[in-house]
Amino acid sequence: MSDLVSNLGLGFSIALSLQNLALCFLGCLVGTLIGVLPGVGPIATIAMLLPITFGLDPVGALIMLAGIYYGAQYGGSTTAILVNIPGEATSVITTLDGHQMARQGRAGIALGIAAIGSFCAGTVATMLIAAIGAPLTRLALVFGPAEYFALMVMGLVFAVVLARGSILKAVAMILVGILLATVGTDLETGQERLTFGFAFLTDGIDFSVLAMGLFGIAEILRNLDHTETRDVVRQHIGRLLPGREDLRQAAGPILRGTAIGSMLGILPGNGAVLGPFAAYTVEKRIARDPSRFGRGAIEGVAGPESANNAGAQTSFIPLLTLGIPPNAVMALMVGAMTIHGIVPGPGVMTKNPNLFWGMIASMWLGNLMLLVINLPLVGVWVRLLKVPYRLMFPAILMFCAIGIYSINALPTDVMLIGVFGLIGYVLIKFGFEPAPLLLGFVLGKLMEEYLRRALTLSRGDAMVFLERPICAGLFAISIIMLVAALMPSLRRSRDDVFSEA
Amino acid sequence: MSELDHGREPGRGIVRAPQSLVAGLGLVALALFGLWAGSDLPQGTLRAMGPGLMPRWLSIGVGICGLALVAVSFVRDGEPLAGAAWRGPVVVTLAILAFAVTIRPFSLGPVATPGLGLIVAGPLAVIVGGYATPEARLRELLILALFLTAGCMLLFGDLLNLPIPIFPVALVDALSGTLSSRTLLRLAAGLLCVGGLALLVLGRGQRREGVDVATHSLTT
Repeated sequence: MSDLVSNLGLGFSIALSLQNLALCFLGCLVGTLIGVLPGVGPIATIAMLLPITFGLDPVGALIMLAGIYYGAQYGGSTTAILVNIPGEATSVITTLDGHQMARQGRAGIALGIAAIGSFCAGTVATMLIAAIGAPLTRLALVFGPAEYFALMVMGLVFAVVLARGSILKAVAMILVGILLATVGTDLETGQERLTFGFAFLTDGIDFSVLAMGLFGIAEILRNLDHTETRDVVRQHIGRLLPGREDLRQAAGPILRGTAIGSMLGILPGNGAVLGPFAAYTVEKRIARDPSRFGRGAIEGVAGPESANNAGAQTSFIPLLTLGIPPNAVMALMVGAMTIHGIVPGPGVMTKNPNLFWGMIASMWLGNLMLLVINLPLVGVWVRLLKVPYRLMFPAILMFCAIGIYSINALPTDVMLIGVFGLIGYVLIKFGFEPAPLLLGFVLGKLMEEYLRRALTLSRGDAMVFLERPICAGLFAISIIMLVAALMPSLRRSRDDVFSEA
Repeated sequence: MSELDHGREPGRGIVRAPQSLVAGLGLVALALFGLWAGSDLPQGTLRAMGPGLMPRWLSIGVGICGLALVAVSFVRDGEPLAGAAWRGPVVVTLAILAFAVTIRPFSLGPVATPGLGLIVAGPLAVIVGGYATPEARLRELLILALFLTAGCMLLFGDLLNLPIPIFPVALVDALSGTLSSRTLLRLAAGLLCVGGLALLVLGRGQRREGVDVATHSLTT
């Protein structure tokens, strides 16, 4: 316990330095700014803004990126409430009651409760990371390559189970992702594979190129397809601070949402996406009058928004302790850390305690800043929402192009985002979700490495995965999850959770 | 969900989920391509995995998923093929290509482009890309391009010092020694802003017809 206090003390001493405070603030502000724009989610935002952090020291860079992340997340909710367009998957559910509240002239209260809920959830999640970070890191150190491999398989299985739509398509996307990860020079033998002699493929496909193509450019193409009807709230935003009655109603949902979101966020395989859906379902089930939901119930905003933010933060746990990114955003963080020469994983905490604890402390500060900067800035965000898409997408396009060019200074990278944009567009058209592909791509390289190492250690005996108890347990969980997800009855309830929207 | 209901309409052929069928065939094709591309790589043994082992088994996995999707498409009802627009993808790709070949000297075989820098590549991408939607208007895009380029030049070139070429190679050579690159950058950004402002002010006069569109844009 005293450890925790002294560690957090160290964290705050770093996060409170003038430079880091400024970077955190800037990250939150810029993240919100771009996250508010409909059609630009956190993944595209971070991918676009990644180059901005290159010149900073690693701690500052990651503090800023984390700020961009939850800023974008928060901005997505603002869009959901005011325009009825979810900025990203996790704020889909907020559109239900949030936008209804806005239409009833209670937009301010909806935004206010979302901010307060997010802040409470952020506080709890920050403490959770600080508390279980150390034990998990110790656990990670006893993990061998076989366990790591099993853990990643489990993560991918979770991603399949939690993906929307066809399970078969999600599995295919993950396999394609891993296949894409094998392109480039084989690390062990130095042999080029699947490069077709192209020099720009020798180092493999750059992760940010893939992410920006699939989530930046493809998203533009998809948005261009249907002329969106943007229903910006015309009514007054109203007062922002919820009254005592509102707070009383929202307190329970905030606490429950935080608990649900934190737990799901820790799961590898993008559990955080499920948080808001689960929280909404729970609130609706236990509500005295469920018919209020969908008509502007404050619980329907408070619960999911808290779960959203809690999950967003606790998803840092697998990354910082095990080195396994649980979702695409965390995968971008891996990229950012690697650029700064930090290997994500159990080593971060012991080798870079400044980074680890500084980042955790900055998360709490960032949440506080979001609360402070967002409420007065709502007017600015509303004006931003009125920028028509025909002016917005060329700007996004240019930012993507400049951003990707400045990473490696290669024109071929710029062309590749176009190619992956087209691929992403085609995938969407055929009902494939690009998110599992990206996760497979990220975990693919690590998986191959660990698989190889495990098999070399066991002298080619594949039974090693079943003989080690932790490993066998992880595989058992994966298989049970997959079978369960394929069972018709469970499948229906899975679809129900997602189609609640 | 309406598409699902649509799929249950009677009188459709043996293919009950066209989207899954095509998606499955696509995956099979990808798998075959992967197998072919990785066929010359040594497989190795489990003890010492060769570089070709993962690609091969992954391709096989993708192929199985594809076949399963094809099979399912004959059994279970699914969504029809979604129509795709051509204008968006084609124009956006062109814009990206334009940016890629003008940002710095780029040669493909016998053809080589001069490096024109961000000051040309940026506006080019914005203006060409802007035409991806039929609602595009040149003057608007011009103003946007001028301001955005100026902003990006200051942000990426001046503030963040990222190694991104700002000016045409020829211009930099011609001016080398006379002006510091930073002064030149700020000067150019200022000029772009002035140009943008001028367009904005000049456009005020013709606003009569634009008003209707401007209010309209709030809802679209």
